[in-house]
Amino acid sequence: MAKPVVIVVGADKGGVGKTTVSRTLLDYFSANNVPTRAFDTESPRGTLKRFHPEITEIVDMTTTPDQMKIFDTLNAVSPSVTVIDVRAGLMSPSLVALRDIGFLDAAKSGQITFAVFHILGSSIASLDEIAETANFMTGAKYFLVKNFINNTSFFEWDQSTYNSYFHRIKDATDLTIPKLNEMAFEQVEVASVPFLKFVANKGIHDDPANYSFVLRGYVRHWLANVWSEFDRIKLTDLVGGGKSVLRGGEK
Amino acid sequence: MPATPVYIICSPRPQVGRTLIARLLCEFLLLKNGNVAAFDLNLKEPSLLEYLPHVTETADVMDTYGKMQLMDRVIVDDGLGKVIDLGFHAFDEFFRMSEEIGFMKEARRRNVAPMVLFVADNDRVSMRGHEMLRHQIPPANFITVDNEYVVRGELSEALTQGHTLRLSALPLFLKTYIDRLTFSFTGYLRQEKDSSTELHQWIRRNYFAFREIEMSLILQRS
Repeated sequence: MAKPVVIVVGADKGGVGKTTVSRTLLDYFSANNVPTRAFDTESPRGTLKRFHPEITEIVDMTTTPDQMKIFDTLNAVSPSVTVIDVRAGLMSPSLVALRDIGFLDAAKSGQITFAVFHILGSSIASLDEIAETANFMTGAKYFLVKNFINNTSFFEWDQSTYNSYFHRIKDATDLTIPKLNEMAFEQVEVASVPFLKFVANKGIHDDPANYSFVLRGYVRHWLANVWSEFDRIKLTDLVGGGKSVLRGGEK
Repeated sequence: MPATPVYIICSPRPQVGRTLIARLLCEFLLLKNGNVAAFDLNLKEPSLLEYLPHVTETADVMDTYGKMQLMDRVIVDDGLGKVIDLGFHAFDEFFRMSEEIGFMKEARRRNVAPMVLFVADNDRVSMRGHEMLRHQIPPANFITVDNEYVVRGELSEALTQGHTLRLSALPLFLKTYIDRLTFSFTGYLRQEKDSSTELHQWIRRNYFAFREIEMSLILQRS
């Protein structure tokens, strides 16, 4: 049986696009036929759940019952991948909680595959976040995501300062999420569907929709770029797939 | 069912006769089908809208809303032929956008047949534009227009690869005559009884060339 995979998407800063990245991950796994479940920690009203209601549960990661709901079921449920969208400010407390329950040790000993997608903001505070997060990353795959979707300019920092933080974490990988046309992004928000369904011109229940061809084109192009980044970091290898599969979006 | 044709008349250069070809094509489609939808993307040149206001609307590709207004219309397989008069200022943005949103691929999927008519000049900008389109547009959907009035019969060899449509030059007095806003090509064919006049033959020759392009689109589909 394949090892369970837990992917935490988070940042201590708000508004850096954590949920957007989580959504692209869920679309990516869906297109690669990897069974996935998701937890949205934006309690009580989760944004991720709005887009992926069938596979997403809203949880409060700081409470023991919800921690049990997530981690005690890792081996018991069929989806091999668990994506956790950690709300702003909860990244560090969540990692502390994971350490305390012995999850990080399990990852270190190879019982669980653990990956962190750390979404970076443009401020110097993000660099401090890297330093803080680095302490928990032994045994985990650590991805530093520069998310340009909300037009962030990353050159507010000195590149060499960034590199000095970046290299503190062994095997950390840099990842770039390109900018998506604002109107296209808004329309997907309004439609409240996964990016994949928007591209396929479908509503939330696979009913035919009538989205703009232009906006669908922009989303498809953008999603292909994001996925090529995921391909570059061999995300499917992480979940034990590693096979070249025909994606839903490419059919 | 035949595909819905979308003619994109374009050039990265001003003053190459693009709107003239768009006018001819619109009138040909009006004569043949009784209807056409034309889109005028010109800000700085003689405008198709001024010649054919009843079938033309202005369009813009400089912002996303304008792109949606235009492309969401032309991608529809409704049997209504469409003509886009693509001004030189919008050339790069239009084809950048169409490449990004996968226009050619989606058109094929939706039974829409785009035909790009590139009005050539011999300068570097034209060469670069032509080269860019040759990589982007399948050869069967790409025609280089050799406008004798512009290139004086000396179209660069690099531009003659693939399909070419030759538009012969008219004497200056006839050019001035057809440039009048009230002039109609089909109207002239109907009114002028003498079919041996130079203008009569010029119009018929061009209409015949458009009919051949239409045939090639039908053959592509079959």
